[in-house]
Amino acid sequence: MSGGRRLRVDIVACQGVGICAHLAADLVRVDSWGYPIVDDSELGPGTERQARAAVRACPRRALFIADPARERRALVT
Amino acid sequence: MSALLHAVPDDEQLARPILASPVYYYSDGDAISELEPHDLAAHLRRYGRRPDCRGDAGATLVEAIDDARLTGRGGAHLPSAIKWRAVRSAAAPVGGSVIVANGAEGEPLSRKDATLLELRPHLVLDGLACAAETLNAGRAVIWLHEGAHAARSAIAHALAERARVSLDEPTVELALAPDAYLSGESSSVVRALSGGPALPEFRTVPSAVRGVGGAPTLVHNVETLAHVAQLARGTYPASALVTVCVGGARIVLEAQTDELLHDVVARVVGGGAAAVLLGGFGGTWCSWDGLAGLCLTEPAFRARGLSLGAGVLDVLRPGQCGLARAVEIADYLARQSARQCGPCLSGLRSVSDALEAIARGGRRTDRRVDELATYTAEIRGRGACHLPDGAVRMVTSALGVFADDVVAHRRGRCLAKGTPA
Repeated sequence: MSGGRRLRVDIVACQGVGICAHLAADLVRVDSWGYPIVDDSELGPGTERQARAAVRACPRRALFIADPARERRALVT
Repeated sequence: MSALLHAVPDDEQLARPILASPVYYYSDGDAISELEPHDLAAHLRRYGRRPDCRGDAGATLVEAIDDARLTGRGGAHLPSAIKWRAVRSAAAPVGGSVIVANGAEGEPLSRKDATLLELRPHLVLDGLACAAETLNAGRAVIWLHEGAHAARSAIAHALAERARVSLDEPTVELALAPDAYLSGESSSVVRALSGGPALPEFRTVPSAVRGVGGAPTLVHNVETLAHVAQLARGTYPASALVTVCVGGARIVLEAQTDELLHDVVARVVGGGAAAVLLGGFGGTWCSWDGLAGLCLTEPAFRARGLSLGAGVLDVLRPGQCGLARAVEIADYLARQSARQCGPCLSGLRSVSDALEAIARGGRRTDRRVDELATYTAEIRGRGACHLPDGAVRMVTSALGVFADDVVAHRRGRCLAKGTPA
């Protein structure tokens, strides 16, 4: 598996500020109440840059890039 | 034969029943039961002594749990063996896991866990001790609702009895949960026992790997642990505790896994039903005819895309309006939101309002139905806990099963009552 990095949101921390939907328009859309629905597909070269910008800009620190391959390694070691 | 029975090895005995006869709870809360609570002496007479599960016996128990395909009776029905193995391997290097017997029965209709705790507390405590020994626990906890006075005193009494005869077993702590729908949710339990509030948590690592205070943690429903106690004795459980709800009364009974749902409901209700809400408030509505031929086992339910959930069968009698019932439940669930996740906090209120508008009927019904479809699609899979998904499942299935009622209500009539809605 090629890394498998994905943008994810901690929905408890999120307060629907909505900056992410502007900075990562290809990955994030907002629902009927203003909370982000994040695309679950693997990040590519173009979307990775958007994802990083959204992660940096979130005032609630609610967005993160999940790396399943690295999590699996952490469990083994 | 049922889907579960074929998992029982031929040379093994079936476990002795937990409840020999049903327990009736009336709407005012009074209970009628022919069953006496088991004190320690009665428990030992019926089931015999609990085997020690340290060392190899623990490994055998994990195999038996796997063979019996034991699943979590709190509602999620995750295969128990997977959790046990995860805790076992995560606990090995760090030493000391945490085992929680979860008796905080959040499902408002369910009384099976309360019944089990009140009448058969030693079976639950046996299962907890077996798990604690097998998984090398540093802490064994029983988690109960603050307001569950009868269950609390039954467990406190049972623990005192065990202490008096100095059973060689891990010490058990009794911990109290706030009386809320979500305080029995497993991430709430882990968060509360780690010193936080009893509210669900967004988790990236399962609690079996990193749970209470960072320790590998097994959270098991109390009925699941009662089954563990039976498996540890070399006997195979072939029953499920269910709560049948009808018109405000609730009946807790032990259904054999080869019994038909139709027969069980007909036996206690004295006839058929219009529809049944399966699992609990966050469950699935099914028409009565759609449940024909279904046995009371999780594999049988799964084969039809359903789940036994927490074992609740909420029976809608002919003459009761399913749409009205769904509105009540949707409103309840919206009010039970932990108010942590936006799609749940805002979304479930929108869902509940839209459903209520549909039940009121009128010209805007089609638009409300479309809105509701948008809301449910947006909410699904996004909460930190199971609450929003359960609410969406209940509402979506209600619109399917009560489709004719929606049409009637729109025209100002009600099929159940035969009068204007």
